[in-house]
Amino acid sequence: MALNALEQEALAALDLSRPQPLRLTDHLGLLRASSVVLFLILWEVFGRRVNPLFLSYPTAIANACAQLLASGEFQRQALGSLQVYAVGLGAALVLGIFLGLLMGRYRLAEYLLDPYVYALDATPRVALIPLLLLWFGLGAQAKIAVVFLSGIFPVLMNTFSGVRTVSSGLVDIGKAYGAGERQVFTKIILPAALPFIMAGVRLAVGRALIGIITAEMFTAVTGMGALLIRYSSAFATDKFFVPVIFLALLGVLLSVAVEALQKRLAPWKETERAL
Amino acid sequence: MAASLNNDDIIEELKLRREPAWSLSDHPNLIRAASVTVFLALWEIYGRRTDPLLLTYPTAVLRAALQLIWSGELLRQLLVSLASLAAGFGASLVLGVGLGLMMGRSRLAEAALEPHVNGLYATPQVALTPLLMMWFGLGFSVKVVIIFLFAFFPILINTASGVKNVSASMVEVGRAYMASERQVLLKVVFPAALPFIMAGVRLAVGRGLVGMIVAELFTAITGLGAMLTLYGNLFETAKMFVVIIVLGLLGVGLIQATQWLERRMARWKETERAVS
Repeated sequence: MALNALEQEALAALDLSRPQPLRLTDHLGLLRASSVVLFLILWEVFGRRVNPLFLSYPTAIANACAQLLASGEFQRQALGSLQVYAVGLGAALVLGIFLGLLMGRYRLAEYLLDPYVYALDATPRVALIPLLLLWFGLGAQAKIAVVFLSGIFPVLMNTFSGVRTVSSGLVDIGKAYGAGERQVFTKIILPAALPFIMAGVRLAVGRALIGIITAEMFTAVTGMGALLIRYSSAFATDKFFVPVIFLALLGVLLSVAVEALQKRLAPWKETERAL
Repeated sequence: MAASLNNDDIIEELKLRREPAWSLSDHPNLIRAASVTVFLALWEIYGRRTDPLLLTYPTAVLRAALQLIWSGELLRQLLVSLASLAAGFGASLVLGVGLGLMMGRSRLAEAALEPHVNGLYATPQVALTPLLMMWFGLGFSVKVVIIFLFAFFPILINTASGVKNVSASMVEVGRAYMASERQVLLKVVFPAALPFIMAGVRLAVGRGLVGMIVAELFTAITGLGAMLTLYGNLFETAKMFVVIIVLGLLGVGLIQATQWLERRMARWKETERAVS
């Protein structure tokens, strides 16, 4: 369709061949990247000028990272931390889900246990660390206890509220078709509560990571937290950043992994509840 | 229809009235009380038998509590702790809401700040405390900075996502009625994002409390956390329990206060989002 004269005039006035003015909002990815690069450059320049005891700079950190990885010291401590973390978190998940199911399904269990659960959940777990160290010593046991206590409550509370929201219609139908208590648990309640449980697991993973770092920093004998304390008391700031970066990556990795697991295991409901 | 034949009589007549069987599940508080009493009694008996260095018992905790309150030590340290909590939390509230509004409103600010915010948020903040202690020493300022860092991110992230959730049509209506950017921000965006902000504040209060304890545990000079370290080193378990209980009560009190504030300030929307 041919354009009429007026339209052609308007088109000419628009002058589409003219280069569009550069708009920053069209290049947000570029802006992000340049923001990071600028930050790193400023850090490098500024960091080289100040006393290396207080602030390091990116290239020094990269050096320290290579050095620590080559000596194998870092891997050994990281592995130690991860083992403790896995044991503590595993115990927290198993017991948290078990107690949550029990408390959600049986009134008696709920009333018997909820005073302790609420009281312990309200107490900041870090405050318990000195006491746990007193009881369990400076070894792996105390750290496992800290990780366990940090991780159990999000799982327990979420499982509990997940079980409570399972519609009684579902359970009634199951019963009407002759399902035993065991089958009601494994075939109805557990699948229905799974999205909640996974949301709790996601919270627990993060909390337990904080728990183990704090515990290791406090005991300062082995693990990532001990490295943090050791390097900071030695004013080895460049080395100090290596475990910090590792922990940040670990945190991201764990939460991505749990999210993927959540999508696989409980794709039917994306609700989450952070209690 | 005879007036005497009311429903009660009929039920009585047909012997339909049954006392509901007394069920334990109808008395939750009875079960709770019994559970707690049994626990305390067992703790008392068992605790008296074990080494007082390791485990204490309820009456000893009570005695220690009275002693600490009487000497004024508990109150003094509590006030020190609360002062740093208030300062750090106040700073994170102001900066978190301010930057969050900026990041939610301007895509440029978001793109420039987001990588740093996400990076710092992903780092477990506890891991940074030794560095901060190196920079800020062991005094009041380091505690404020640590509490700030713990509480800042939930507020910032919730505010930003709250602002992004404000429906564009509301802003457009505001614009159509010639509202300036400032008015849009204060009269449209901020009230609409308030429920999100308050949800962030509630998360931040808990995290700020954790930050306060961590800071005081490591600096170990003043405050409730320092009392924990001190009495832990002295093996005075009863006094440690007093501090732990006070911290627990503080946590409950702060969360309740925020929830109350949330209901008062952001009544129009009860949705909450815990961005994690």
